Amino acid sequence: MTIKVDLTREYEALVEAYQREGLDTSLFGDRIAAIIISGDKIIGLNNVPGVEIRGEEIEKGVRAEVKIAEGVELPFPIHLCTGYLKSEGYQRVIFDINVGKNSKVRFTSHCIFPYAKDFTHEAIARIKIGEGSSVLYDDEHVHGEGVRMVGKTEVEVGRNARYTGKFTLTKHRAKELKLEMVARLGERAVLEIETKVKAVKDDCVEMKEVAYLEGAHSRANLRSTAIAFDRAKVNVINEAYGFGDYAKGHVECHEIVKGDADVQTVPLLRVKNDKAELTHEASIGRINEAQLIQLMAKGLTEDEAAELIIKGLLGEW
Amino acid sequence: MLCLRNVEYSQNGRRILRSINMTFRDGMSYSILGPNGAGKSTIARILMGELRPTSGQVLLDGEDVTGLSVTERAKRGISMAWQEPARYEGITVRNYLTLGGKLKIGEDGIREVLELVGLPYELYAHRFVDKSLSGGERKRVELASLLLLKPRYAILDEPDSGLDITAGKLIEVILDRFRKCGTTVILITHHEGIALKTDFAYFVCGGRIVRKGFSQEVVDYYRKTCRRCSFAEG
Ligand SMILES: Nc1ncnc2c1ncn2[C@@H]1O[C@H](COP(=O)(O)OP(=O)(O)OP(=O)(O)O)[C@@H](O)[C@H]1O
Ligand SMILES: [Mg+2]
Repeated sequence: MTIKVDLTREYEALVEAYQREGLDTSLFGDRIAAIIISGDKIIGLNNVPGVEIRGEEIEKGVRAEVKIAEGVELPFPIHLCTGYLKSEGYQRVIFDINVGKNSKVRFTSHCIFPYAKDFTHEAIARIKIGEGSSVLYDDEHVHGEGVRMVGKTEVEVGRNARYTGKFTLTKHRAKELKLEMVARLGERAVLEIETKVKAVKDDCVEMKEVAYLEGAHSRANLRSTAIAFDRAKVNVINEAYGFGDYAKGHVECHEIVKGDADVQTVPLLRVKNDKAELTHEASIGRINEAQLIQLMAKGLTEDEAAELIIKGLLGEW
Repeated sequence: MLCLRNVEYSQNGRRILRSINMTFRDGMSYSILGPNGAGKSTIARILMGELRPTSGQVLLDGEDVTGLSVTERAKRGISMAWQEPARYEGITVRNYLTLGGKLKIGEDGIREVLELVGLPYELYAHRFVDKSLSGGERKRVELASLLLLKPRYAILDEPDSGLDITAGKLIEVILDRFRKCGTTVILITHHEGIALKTDFAYFVCGGRIVRKGFSQEVVDYYRKTCRRCSFAEG
């Protein structure tokens, strides 16, 4: 990868942050398509056959276009690294991702704001997936104590295409997190969204996930898990709209509360086609007493037992 | 030695246990036998510390441990497999058995106990201890977990319920294994055949001890009386 000379120090700092967090530094290798952003600068950009990333520095941020050609299947993920290494400020990142027909790609997106104290990050992503393609988008965040994040993702999943989106913010402070994801599904398109967030102290989290099942036989599965401790506030809104014939959607939200956390979940299901079928499942509560006691009977303290259970819920094993 | 001394337990004004006195000596195995609702699980939960007796004491080597928490009792060697083992999302059998890596046990150790309870390692080690395990499989995982822990006292609340026809054999294997590592087993059951496999037995009914002694004696008495019994409520 070519790194702009005057920015090698920032690049190194990012790589170091990856190492500290146990993230995969091989993502910075030459064979991996990548864009590395720090603040409002593009500090690295790498294209591989079938992938064309173009970036442009805009006011307080970066806009990037990612084009995947038709019939591309990559052995490695496409690495989207967004860093901000100062403690204060504002950053805006816009991604336009276009995936051609019959391609199969993975994106690994890392947002690294390790020193943030008073920082606002705005992320906008528009993802268009061509017919028969499959996209996995894995979004992991490393946040310092004070990150205000607003994320908006729009996904269009074409005919016979599949989109799997994962968002995880569990090891760091969520502070102020507002996420919105809207997906439209074509015929036989499949959408899977999994969001895992942990909120502590006075964190405030709002997540909204919306699936429009427009195409016939389209399927969507939205799953969110939130852990809210202390005085954290979490609000999860899941909406599914069944418009296409035989469209099938399921939304699921599980929230674990501890302390004085304030948590709500609002599922909305709407059907405009009697052949469509939507379901939802929700739970809010403390950690199940029986689960705790039974682990304590093996010598774990209540906190150790809770940690084990929560790690399980967050899929961290 | 683990004892219950004059334990009474009431809930919502209802007397569930009355003057229960039990003694569990090290290295021996015990059954608590009795019909549904007799109070067997309540006794187990009082021994483990999940429930506090309304009056009376739990004594460990003569020391009053009635006020100790579940964790504290576990640290002193008391452990229990519940009648309904809890399910855990996202925790594999392997992680469950090592308590998330807290127990330092090699793969061989895990393999051995899983095979002992009839769960082939390859098929089960990476399964989740969640709703996807059948009732019998979940029970077997719990037994494997206690076998690995090797507690001083293992309370097994109906380990045989939900198991298929191999249950009897499995209980024998488990008892044998616990005997070898010096664990005192307290086995709750309503099956006479299972109770016969332990050294001693308590026959509990309506919240009282009706009979205690060698398992054979107690089972004989249970057979004679329990089937013709009219008092369910004490
Ligand atoms: N929370 C409660 N409130 C009222 N009664 C209770 C409560 N918990 C248990 N009981 C009663 O206490 C009695 C003893 O219950 P326990 O679970 O100890 O019986 P058991 O011998 O283990 O029965 P089983 O063989 O069915 O497992 C039962 O009659 C039960 O209904
Ligand atoms: Mg019981």
